Order: sequence, then structure tokens, then C-alpha cells
Amino acid sequence: MLPIAKSELVQVLRDRAVLITSLLMPLAASAFFIGFRDVFAGIGSLGYVAAVLVFTIAAFSLYVTTVTTLAGRRQSLFLKRLRSTAAGDAAILTGLVLPVTVIALVQVAVIVTTFAVVGGTPADVLLFVVAAVATFAMMLALGIGTAGVTTSPEHAQVTTLPLSLGTIAVASWVGITGTQDLAELKRIMPGGAATELMVGAWNGGLALGDALLLLVPTAAWVVVAITIAAKMFRWEPRR
Amino acid sequence: MATNPVIDVDRLGVTYGTFQAVQDLSFQVERGELYALLGTNGAGKTSTLEVVEGHRTATTGSVRVLGAAPTDRRAVRPRTGTMLQESGFAPELTVAETVRLIGRLSGREDSAERVLGLVGLTRKAETRVAQLSGGEKRRLDFATAVYGRPELLFLDEPTTGLDIRSRDALWETVEQLRADGTTIVLTTHYLEEAQQHADRVGLMHGGTLQREGTVAELTRSLPASIRFSLPPGAATPPRQAVPLEDRSWAIETFELQRDLKQLLDWAAASKVELDGLSAAPTRLDDVFRAVGTDPAVPAPR
Repeated sequence: MLPIAKSELVQVLRDRAVLITSLLMPLAASAFFIGFRDVFAGIGSLGYVAAVLVFTIAAFSLYVTTVTTLAGRRQSLFLKRLRSTAAGDAAILTGLVLPVTVIALVQVAVIVTTFAVVGGTPADVLLFVVAAVATFAMMLALGIGTAGVTTSPEHAQVTTLPLSLGTIAVASWVGITGTQDLAELKRIMPGGAATELMVGAWNGGLALGDALLLLVPTAAWVVVAITIAAKMFRWEPRR
Repeated sequence: MATNPVIDVDRLGVTYGTFQAVQDLSFQVERGELYALLGTNGAGKTSTLEVVEGHRTATTGSVRVLGAAPTDRRAVRPRTGTMLQESGFAPELTVAETVRLIGRLSGREDSAERVLGLVGLTRKAETRVAQLSGGEKRRLDFATAVYGRPELLFLDEPTTGLDIRSRDALWETVEQLRADGTTIVLTTHYLEEAQQHADRVGLMHGGTLQREGTVAELTRSLPASIRFSLPPGAATPPRQAVPLEDRSWAIETFELQRDLKQLLDWAAASKVELDGLSAAPTRLDDVFRAVGTDPAVPAPR
């Protein structure tokens, strides 16, 4: 698995298009949110800004890059090449997504830490981390699943739009309007409960019972995403 | 029947939806043998090869490779080298990085420098794969396949896109591997390569194996051909000659030497010059064509 991850990291660092998508765009978007944090905090709250930062990086740096990478490797038959070796499917897939996942995790750690330094620290760091990690796990698995219906890196620009924009929209909807209205609907949407957890963890005031309750749909979405990935991912291009 | 086959395919069937690509296919490949699996377009040889290589599971029947299921990668792949029909390399990696990666994942020990030297890519070691020509990619593919001297080597269209010098070098390496006891499965559209190098040939058509045997056995089943033209007003040639067009004649024969001598004797006695005289033994191409046109054989789907 590690030789594959190392080669994948080399490829990411040498591919300018992927570098721009996975590094520069999320960084630029994050800088925008942090720079105008008071405006966005006025619309929602600081917790909302933190949640949007996590979802922006999870959507663009992790999800889109995962789909683009896997579709490209399958289109070029690199996946078939790797499967001609003694490496198992799990090791191949883990090796392929490990670099983009680590890059995204480092990005989110640096950006959220920067936000905490300039905007104030979260009330419950552990809960925030749990919600962020669950969001990353969900987006990674959804990326693997979406790669199954994506024929090429170019096609990924289309196939990733619904979920990347959709999850950020859900995060914004929940973060700005709260869950006083339509609470059930908002919590069962992908990223809805995770957003509420992050907002509550950052702003404070979330009771333990409520947090545990929100962890259920958050974890359920991780399971759903993994199921989708297992059912939809394909190793071979369609004939 | 092979006694201890490296590859044992028994009544293999491969189905895509309602389409049956391969049906009731059985063959064995023995240790140290070069077996050429040939076929018309859509014959099912790619599906067969994918199952044998472990990239696809059989719908029906069974396949054993080196005594294990071909999908058992840990058991089979460290002993197997595969040259895919299409290269499938990461364009951003260099040639040396590619060989090291695939070599390490193969589970065999070797040095990238050795195999790159073997295929004449030493000077391209630090070049990115994206900058290689099509022929160089095929050589890189071959280098990764022979990394660590595998017991079993799959060569899927190995010389497509190679210039004649690279082809010769590749076959020289293949012959060295054979001399060391490597078992080789070859698919190719260059029938002369199969004719020259294969110990046995399996000829597929319509999803089944239509002919199998050594080149000599296969070609023996079809007549050799003598062709010539006669000048206007010439005497009628020996009775086995069949008229074609434009004063051309053909003799199809299983006794090439005898009938050629008879024709030459007749021409000498008749004082006739045989224009464009050619005598060709039966080649694998002829067997291949006969499979496609034999009314007893189903037409390609």
C-alpha cells in the first residue's frame, strides 16, 4: 500500500491541475471565509464559519480530487496495471486515496487552527474533531462511489457538482438558519447533523444528550457512503 | 492431456448479460511451453485471457493457474508477469519509478536497471512515461512483466507498435526466458510470430476453441498451394490444376514436392514457361482464414 501511496503523492505533486484543485482552490476559499469571518458570523455564527471551512476542504480538496484521481487512474488503465500485481484491492484503493486524504487533513488542520487563532477557539475541540473526521470519512467514501460513475477526469467536473455544492449548501442552510425549523429534514441530509455538531461544538451550549443524538445520523451517513462506495466503484472502464 | 499443466482451463464460460463471449472452452498449458492463443475479432480470447490472468471471474467452468485460482493474487502474481494489451501506466511517473513500483508490487526481487537494460530503456530511466513513444511504452510494459524472472509470462499483443529491431530484441529476451524454463502465453495478431515461436497454438472462433496443436499439426490439415500463369495458346496443364482468372492456375496439394516436380516436368516437356510460379507451404494464416470461412464453423458475432 505504501509504495502506491508514495507514487500517488509524486503524481499529485507533479500534476499542476490537481495541485490547483486540491490545494489552491480550497486555500483561496478558506482565506475568503476567514477574511470575512465577521460578515459570515453575522449571518450565522463563528461555528457556521468553521463548519463551512471543513465542508469546503472536504468537498473540493478531498471529494473532487478523489473522484478525479480514481477516474483518471481507471481511464488510463493504471488500476488494471496495479491489479496485475500481488497487491490486493483494499491496499490499492487505500494507497491511491491516502495522499489526497492526508493533504486534505493537513489543510483542514492548518486552516481551522488559523481560524481559531484569529476568531477564537471552539468550546468543545474533541466533538468538533469527531464531527470533522466523520465528514471527511463520508466525503471520501462518496468520492470513491462517485468515481464509479465518472468516466474521466474531465467528466468529474460534472459528476462532482451535485454532492460538492450540495453538501456545502446543506452546511450553509443548517449553519445559517439553525434547526428550530425542519430539524428532522436538515439532520437527515448529508452533512446536516455533522454541521449542527460542528456549530454546537464551536459555539458551545450543546448538551451531551443532543450531541450523542446528532452523532447517530452523522455516523449513519458514513455507513451509507461506504455502502454506496462498495456498490458503485468499478475497477475497469465500461466496455 | 497435460500431466501437470501450469494453466488448466476446464469448460470455461464467460457471459456478459445475455451475450455468451466464451463457451465450453478447455485447454492446458504445460510448463516451459509457449502457447499462442489466437482468434478472430470477437472470438473471445480477450475474455479468456482476462479470466486466466485473474482480471475477471469465470461465469461457468474452472480455471487453475500454477495450481491456484487466478484471482488468488498472493498465490499467483509473485510467480506471474503480465504484459497487458494497453500499457496503463501513470503518465507523471518516470520510467525507473514505474518499474520499481510495479516490480515491488509484483512480489519478486530484481533490479530496475537490469530490466531497463534488457529492453533498451536505460537512457530513458528518468524520463516521464507521458513523454515516451508508443513503442517505448510497450518496451516498458515488457520490462515490468519480466521483472524478477516470473515462472509464467502473459504476453498480450507484445509487439504491436514496435519497430523491427525492438521486436527482434523482445523475441530474443523471450527465447532466453524460455530457455530458463518460463512458461509463456502469447496472444498476437502477427501470425508469423506465433508460427515462428509457439510450441502449440489454440485457435478461437465464436467463443470456442476451433483448432489446437503444433503449427505443423495445424498446417498439415490444409493443402499447400502452387500458383502460376500460362501464356496464350499454351497446352492444358496437369489435371489437378484449377483455372483462376487471367490465365492463372492453382494447384492445391498435400504433396507439394511431388506435384511441383510433376508440374515442372510437364512444363519442360511442353516447352511452356510458367510465369509468376510460386509454391507456398501452408501457413498459419491459411488455417486462420479457413476457420473464419469454414461453413462448419459459426460466423463471428
